[in-house]
Amino acid sequence: MPRTIIDVHVIQTVPPSNLNRDDTGSPKTATYGGVRRARVSSQAWKRATRDAFDGMLDRAELGVRSKRVVELVAEQITAQDHALKDRSQELAAAVLLAAGIKTTPPRKAKPGEELPGESGYLIFLSRNQIRRLAELAVDAAHVAGDDKPKIDGTEAKRRAKQQHSVDVSLFGRMVAEVTDLNVDAAVQVAHALSVHAVTTEYDYFTAVDDHKKADEEEDAGAGMIGTVEFNSSTLYRYASIDVDRLQDNLGEPDVTRRAVEAFVRAFVSSMPTGKQNTFANRTLPDAVLVLARDTQPISFVGAFEDAVTADEEGGRVASSIRRLSEHGRELHEAYDQHPVAGWSVGVGDKANPLTELGARESLATVVQAVGELVTQRCGLAS
Amino acid sequence: MTVLVLRLAGPWQSWGTSSRFVRRNTDRAPSKSGVIGLLAAAQGVRRTDPLDELLQLRIGVRVEQAGRMERDFQTARPIDGSKPMPLSYRFYLADAVFLVGVEGEADLLRGLQESLRNPAFPLFLGRRSCPPVGPVSRGLRDGSAQEVIDTEPWAASAWAQNAETRPQVNLDTVIDCPPGTPGSDLVRDEPISFDPERREYGWRCVRHGRVQVTNPTRPAAAALSTRHDPFNAVEGW
Repeated sequence: MPRTIIDVHVIQTVPPSNLNRDDTGSPKTATYGGVRRARVSSQAWKRATRDAFDGMLDRAELGVRSKRVVELVAEQITAQDHALKDRSQELAAAVLLAAGIKTTPPRKAKPGEELPGESGYLIFLSRNQIRRLAELAVDAAHVAGDDKPKIDGTEAKRRAKQQHSVDVSLFGRMVAEVTDLNVDAAVQVAHALSVHAVTTEYDYFTAVDDHKKADEEEDAGAGMIGTVEFNSSTLYRYASIDVDRLQDNLGEPDVTRRAVEAFVRAFVSSMPTGKQNTFANRTLPDAVLVLARDTQPISFVGAFEDAVTADEEGGRVASSIRRLSEHGRELHEAYDQHPVAGWSVGVGDKANPLTELGARESLATVVQAVGELVTQRCGLAS
Repeated sequence: MTVLVLRLAGPWQSWGTSSRFVRRNTDRAPSKSGVIGLLAAAQGVRRTDPLDELLQLRIGVRVEQAGRMERDFQTARPIDGSKPMPLSYRFYLADAVFLVGVEGEADLLRGLQESLRNPAFPLFLGRRSCPPVGPVSRGLRDGSAQEVIDTEPWAASAWAQNAETRPQVNLDTVIDCPPGTPGSDLVRDEPISFDPERREYGWRCVRHGRVQVTNPTRPAAAALSTRHDPFNAVEGW
């Protein structure tokens, strides 16, 4: 079975912004090659990618992360059989318990008020899975009549597990209670690092109090003062999709293809929304390199261990793209790890060095080509 | 005895052995369970499968580049944006490079070396968001883990080697030793099972030490003259 791994490398410049901040409000940073770099955490961009899926995939394949699973299943039970509306919460709790997900009434419930139960942890359940669990509950209720319905635990567990929704299959799921519902993620997203050294800057702002300003007797002072931290950087972003693992999680080659296409498109064009209204920092990448491999994922971050300096030829962005291309080619030669196929996307002449690793196309063409390659190689497997 | 030498380097890595709940720590050097997990992933062993022969391996670690400990603040929110979930604090080692000597049977190590070139599961250095940089396997050597740790050339990054002015560097080491060895420490880092339903770690006996290694970017101390003669710069004097 041919192994298929899709590596996505992105060089993206963000203007002054604070995409991803830590608990003190400062933009996240990391040290690499002895200098401080700007960083956007892996989890921040995974979330932005997941948000972007909403517009790209049929909702039946997306997952909902929530504790209010009883409510979700109960709604489906009512939708499938209106006569069971009064018992829907009880049935939902029963089928979830059979699947190994314990639910308890939320703490806010006043005595006498019936609030739907919640699970102890955030759980991913796809719309498909919710529907199938509801079906199981409805069938059991019909069989039992007025008696307590008997729900098969193995079947409930199976329905909560099979046909994993796309984002669960890509990013994995952790359910602390029932470990056979754990799904290993098929995607590896590295923390995005700036290719150059970065110092955080401060924007001192004041906020005018209109009423105070209009009042003749008040002083001219501002209503509020504060600082917002920000930095500006050219980021190197890397993600790797293990297509074989994804197909194990999803089960069907066609859904696998659509998942890979959606991930590549969403990862490339999404951005975390931190402080977006303040800085209006939404940009698209300067260059994207997509490589399909059959041995192992390879990150090119080593090209930037020596931080890019401002005086390099062509400027920072052109220099980063050149370094990325050279480093990639040297790695391939030195360790005999040649990709199966490659494509590049870019803006202007700056992105030309990447054509050595992959022909230049538009993102839509690349996404489609990746999809076709995945279908072809997964088709050989099944 | 044969030793497989690994070089673990990347912008961030994290090797936790004693984390609880929302504070995910890292040790200052790769843990045995982390390294065995990496090797098992390369071979395609799932968490629920038994570890078998990987448990016989002896691990010795040398810290080429200690790096800095950095903290990542992580939040989690449901996709519909409602009530936020517990915050977690995760620690990482930034800019660190480690040399790991894995001592065991020659056949097993040859198989592991091949698996590392074509890993069945993608490799990562402690956490999934930390892919390794550069090839992980550096080849097989004869001898014991201690001998390899003593003699391998310094494998830190080029910038770190250039920044070091001394001709010799002292590198920390952490090596497995038999229980009861004088000067040893106990760490709960001996993997028995990675099965999510039955994770188990035993006690690992380690000895901390130091090894002196030459810095290839600096000339040997004897060749350096401490007398400065400014007229050397003027030709024909």
